[in-house]
Amino acid sequence: MIVPMKKVTLYALKREKEALLLSLQRCGELMVISTEDAQPQEGFAQSAEELARAQEALGFVYRSVGKRSMFTPRPEVEKQALLFVDPELEKLRDEVAELERKLSDNAARESALSAEAAAVAPWVELDVPVEELKNTRKVAVFTGSIAANLLPALTALAEERDSAVQLLGEGAEGRVLVLYAPKGRAEELLEAAKAVGYVPLMPPRVVGLPRARAEQLAAELDAVRKEREALTEAMKKLAEKRDELEILCDQRATEHERQSTPAMLTDYTFCLKGWTQADRTEVVQKAVESVTDAFVLSFEDPAEDETPPTVTKNSKLVAPFESITDMFSRPDPREVDPNPVMAPWYWLIFGMMMGDAGYGLLMALAFGLFLKIAKPRGDFRKLVKVLLFSSITTAFWGVMFGSYFGAEWFPPVLFVPLNEPVSTLILCMVIGALHIFSGIILSMVNCLRAGDWQAAIFDNLSWIILLTGIGFMFLEPLSQVGTYLAIFGAAVIVLTGGRANRGIKKITGGLLSLYGVTGQLSDILSYSRILALVLSSGVVAMVFNLLAGMVQGSVLGYIASVLIYVIGHVFNLAMGLLSAYVHASRLQYIEFFGKFYTGNGRPFVPMSVKAAHVDLK
Amino acid sequence: MSTGTLIAIIGAALAAILAGVGSAYGVRLTGQAAAGVTAEKPDLFGKLLVIEALPGTQGIYGFLVAVIVMVRIGILGGGVANLTMEQGWSFFGACMPIAIVGLISATFQAQTAVSAILMTAKEPGSSAKGITMAALVETYAILALLVSILLVFGIQV
Repeated sequence: MIVPMKKVTLYALKREKEALLLSLQRCGELMVISTEDAQPQEGFAQSAEELARAQEALGFVYRSVGKRSMFTPRPEVEKQALLFVDPELEKLRDEVAELERKLSDNAARESALSAEAAAVAPWVELDVPVEELKNTRKVAVFTGSIAANLLPALTALAEERDSAVQLLGEGAEGRVLVLYAPKGRAEELLEAAKAVGYVPLMPPRVVGLPRARAEQLAAELDAVRKEREALTEAMKKLAEKRDELEILCDQRATEHERQSTPAMLTDYTFCLKGWTQADRTEVVQKAVESVTDAFVLSFEDPAEDETPPTVTKNSKLVAPFESITDMFSRPDPREVDPNPVMAPWYWLIFGMMMGDAGYGLLMALAFGLFLKIAKPRGDFRKLVKVLLFSSITTAFWGVMFGSYFGAEWFPPVLFVPLNEPVSTLILCMVIGALHIFSGIILSMVNCLRAGDWQAAIFDNLSWIILLTGIGFMFLEPLSQVGTYLAIFGAAVIVLTGGRANRGIKKITGGLLSLYGVTGQLSDILSYSRILALVLSSGVVAMVFNLLAGMVQGSVLGYIASVLIYVIGHVFNLAMGLLSAYVHASRLQYIEFFGKFYTGNGRPFVPMSVKAAHVDLK
Repeated sequence: MSTGTLIAIIGAALAAILAGVGSAYGVRLTGQAAAGVTAEKPDLFGKLLVIEALPGTQGIYGFLVAVIVMVRIGILGGGVANLTMEQGWSFFGACMPIAIVGLISATFQAQTAVSAILMTAKEPGSSAKGITMAALVETYAILALLVSILLVFGIQV
């Protein structure tokens, strides 16, 4: 059902605002809404910045040591511990930020040093200090490089001109070398050398022997790398405190929510407006009373033009299916909650689409264990529960259809879909028709709630009569009754469909309404997808059984057979789950919700302690 | 083996081939889009995987019809039946709905699914709506599958 909401208005003293916000956040029952002249608290910008800093530190830790695996339990924390920021944890965050800075410094230094080392490396064989590598009275000195395969040409050129070539190491663009030429022929040699591929290259900016500089650089690089190792080690140690950083993030997020709560201010007072569930007003009242006795607190029913957020409250069995509805759209607070009707249909149809007792058992095991061990939260938890619940119907329909891991271990209670596709198709249509009828009935409920009994009977009940009649027409003993019902239903639709129009349009409107029968019938035909999915998962399973059977015969064959069996069925189960999830949802969203559902509800997000990374005790 | 049986086998092969090619092409498109989004938003991987796999079902449907034909004409389990030309062409025709619709609907569904992936990237909460939009395209592949199945079972051997 949809929980009725009350509009909350609170006036209190400005100096008690912090304490009141804290108390309201702790109780977790008030969703504050923003009004035109409301503004966030003074510390809003700062808390946003602090939250970002905490998240950045946590992100850095995640990058260096990874997130927690799905199966490790989250830390458990008292609610109280998240309400205030722990200064010890702030220190930890600063340490992480400092370490991050040092690591990036270290990386920058390392890349600068290694770049220089790479530039000096080809010159280490030079046996004179770099600054002395200049022209003498009679000899001109050039430095440069040339590709290794062009070197002989250059050597020949140099010899022809009484010059010497001193070969050094291999540089980025070829062999590095020094040319010594008599001053008279230097220009000529240089021209000729450039023609065969010689490129001038400045020696590195080093004082003294390059070898000495290279050794110095190697030592420095070594030191930098050692430092990095030490930093990484320190990082790993800090990362063990990942849990604490996560707690800090949650504390900061909790603080930021308080700071961003919109309130209207006067010089001495403030005003909060918001929503709460009608049966929780006392909790809100107590939260306020525990802080101060100087307040005015009122709870009102929503006005005509106000749309409160939607809270649905259902039994434990139905609640997980709310996630399926919410993914489409939350119900409008004024309409009937579709979940109690939708849940059993989803459950039944999902199981029918899977339709295998063995798979039902596997699903129960897998999703049951997953819930126990990984303890998923939020909507994901609900989804896993939906799948767990649906394992029951999967097994049920498996027994009905005699399908056990794709094999017929026991004879079917109903029939085997592969042998009797037409009977299965009819079963699917009947289920579809009943599903759609329940949607039409919900539409009637909505009409009656709005006080429109004409719409309930003429636009909804008439369709049930017409469609039932069409169905009966195919059943031999009832075909006479069916014909009458269908004619009666159609007559009601034609006569009343245009009642809102005037003149001749009363009749054309009615005929146009009857044209809707094509839509209704195609909706029912759409349930034939159940048959298609039952057959596809059944046949694929059968094929894997067949393949596994074919390779048996030797020891190796039996091993391969087991592998094919296991991998094949896991694959088929996964694909089957995907199809059943998608198509069971689609039948709800389009065929079922299409009959009555408005949606467009907003979620109810009360001020509360933000436990995004931890579990509350 | 008679020519009729040969024609039936070609039909079954085409069902698996064409629908499979369509799905492979479709999943390629969605896979590329999903990979691009995952690079920026790794958290969405789970949601995107569901949308990515949507155009993959047509290939399974084609495979399914091919297997049913194999069972009917006795290639799987039992001796191969000697079909007449009429029977062979009947099986061939029965395979065509899922072969052709499977091929085309998988590629079209992939385009819708790519849009759904981009929508999910912008608005992660709307993935269910995107899935529904893409699933609407699949309806016609399912109808073709049903026609193929009912035809294959309706042929007298």
